[in-house]
Amino acid sequence: MSDVVVTGVGVASPVLKDPGDLLGEPVEDARFDPAAELGRGVRYKDRATQLAMLAAGRALADASLLDPDLSRDLSVAGESAGVVASSNLGNVDTVCQTAESIASGSVTDLSPMALPNASSNIVASSIAVRFGIRGPNLMVCNGASSGLDAVRLGALLITARRAPRVVVVGVEPINDVVTSLVGRPAEELFDGAVAVVLESATVAGEARFHVRLSGYARCAEEAASVHRALGNGSLPGLWLTGQTAAAPAPFQDVPRRDLETALGKASGALGVLQVAAGARWLHDGGPAPVLATAGVPDDGVSSLVLTSCGAVAP
Amino acid sequence: MTTTRPHTDQRWSIAGMGAVASIGAGAGPLFDALCAGHGGLSPLRGFDADRFRLKNAFEIDDRPAGADLPGRATRWLCDVIAEAARDAGIGEDLSDVPVLIGTGLREHRSVELHWTDGADFPLSRTHFGAALRERFGAAITYTVNNACSASLHTLGLAADLIDGGVSDTVIVAGVDSITASMFGLMDRVQSPPVDRVRPFDRDRRGALMGDGAAAVVLRRGGPARAWLRAVALNCDAHNETAPDIGGVSAAIIDAHARAAVNPADIDLVFAHATGTLLNDEVEATALAKVFGRNGARPLVTGIKSMTGHTSGASGLMSLVAATEVLRTGRIPAIVGLDEPSEAARGLRLVTDPLAQADVALVQVDAFGFGGVNAVAIVERVNS
Repeated sequence: MSDVVVTGVGVASPVLKDPGDLLGEPVEDARFDPAAELGRGVRYKDRATQLAMLAAGRALADASLLDPDLSRDLSVAGESAGVVASSNLGNVDTVCQTAESIASGSVTDLSPMALPNASSNIVASSIAVRFGIRGPNLMVCNGASSGLDAVRLGALLITARRAPRVVVVGVEPINDVVTSLVGRPAEELFDGAVAVVLESATVAGEARFHVRLSGYARCAEEAASVHRALGNGSLPGLWLTGQTAAAPAPFQDVPRRDLETALGKASGALGVLQVAAGARWLHDGGPAPVLATAGVPDDGVSSLVLTSCGAVAP
Repeated sequence: MTTTRPHTDQRWSIAGMGAVASIGAGAGPLFDALCAGHGGLSPLRGFDADRFRLKNAFEIDDRPAGADLPGRATRWLCDVIAEAARDAGIGEDLSDVPVLIGTGLREHRSVELHWTDGADFPLSRTHFGAALRERFGAAITYTVNNACSASLHTLGLAADLIDGGVSDTVIVAGVDSITASMFGLMDRVQSPPVDRVRPFDRDRRGALMGDGAAAVVLRRGGPARAWLRAVALNCDAHNETAPDIGGVSAAIIDAHARAAVNPADIDLVFAHATGTLLNDEVEATALAKVFGRNGARPLVTGIKSMTGHTSGASGLMSLVAATEVLRTGRIPAIVGLDEPSEAARGLRLVTDPLAQADVALVQVDAFGFGGVNAVAIVERVNS
């Protein structure tokens, strides 16, 4: 995985004007409208898909793989790129509302236009269609650690030489179904998408970001996942993790940051937010490495480590 | 990415298998049912039939009459993983074994029941990590929601994990239980009556969904039930629901290249063959194009007229059947196929079960919404 570098970051959220806001104080832009930013062809896309398409496009443009106006296909062969998207709740509104329409009426009440959104991978496949990305296309729905796991699987596609570059997107929308199912008001939830472009170091060239993935582990317990991801026992310069996690003794003085405090509960988007924020931190000269941890103990806890490109990978 | 890497002698052991569908539980009994031409189509059990135009589906009959229950997909998933682990002789402690689940619909049927009927189902069980932790101690779990080719996608990722030295053993599974939303929308967009599934037939009317799950234990070395030689993954980047001949053909060609085989080496194709107008047209055309250009004429079969379209489980369901073909020489036939469509007419379609076929290499197709294509190549273990 140490051959994989981050070469672009993109965000799409009312609370994130640009990637610099990931580690700052978010200010809500009530006028933010992903459909307007994307232009044509998104009328029947659900909000999660619109947000993810916009963040992916911006990350690809940031990596110089796409024109800044997101209007055309990639500047590289479509087969040379893949998509991995992460979301737990992306299309649950379509699923529940469709079931409700049937339960209170019949299938003749349904709009055929809802069919694509009934399949959870609409997020990942819509990005492929929009930007002509013909390599492997994955939709990861893996719970609290899903975003970190999506980054890991994106890196796997690269190291297995299925594609030399992959855009990884994390997205969660806010809608009435989501707030009801999650049992939290909208103010406590993240509404948006974030994307990172991962590339094989051999094709990354003169990219703006120089951040390397250097470790990952998913384990039953947080302590084991942190230990295995860090590998060499070095202390992180920044730990992106939940506030409730108990810091192991050597980590007492490591700066910690819970992105969900500022951005809201981010579910499947969290891990990608962490990787994007970590990339910004290192890009801005923050001490390396950055450790990101997400997950719940009765499922699995994932940790991922980012280093600066100059650093020797463990 | 057909040219990035030589794949000459690569292979992974399919060391154990498990499966369940409407026609039977257990990989062996299920394959026997396929060879006998048994179909699992029945009047709707879990849904209120008055609210649908379609009146039949391929459901697993494990509920009290007239009621639906949450958590069925999770139960089948655990059952087939336990069966595959037993078959491979690796025991049920999976704490260090990665488990990759391919699904189209996760536990969305349970989420629907929670939403419409107030059924007790925690949102955190929509994906399968917590259940696999509880049952097998598994923690390295990934739920990949890749529509109808999901479980062949996870098969490819599993091979990549073994190649990357992450683990010598990986469990791959596919599972789906029919959701009201997907069944209802498929009903809405097809022209009833779709009263049966007729893959590649001139008069086919559409696809009908099925419940099912399948699992395999994939290992670096033998002993093997069969060898996995390659899995190709790509995306059409063409349309959100309609398949594309170019993308499907590219996936098949890439699978052959990764396995370092020629089209003429393939003896049998387990087609995706959903019975929809468009899928079967595109798949038949792609098969004719890729094989015909080389003068190759493999046998072509498919199982969805017996199992229904088991969505994310379907690719691995076909792969389990393909492994049984390689072990036994028996080939299930395409039930419901009377007169091939024009596009399929040139294919060597299996319309009667074969008892003693000489099959050494099988191609397994799975294509999903969003143009996500996966094609696997499996090879017979020669004594």
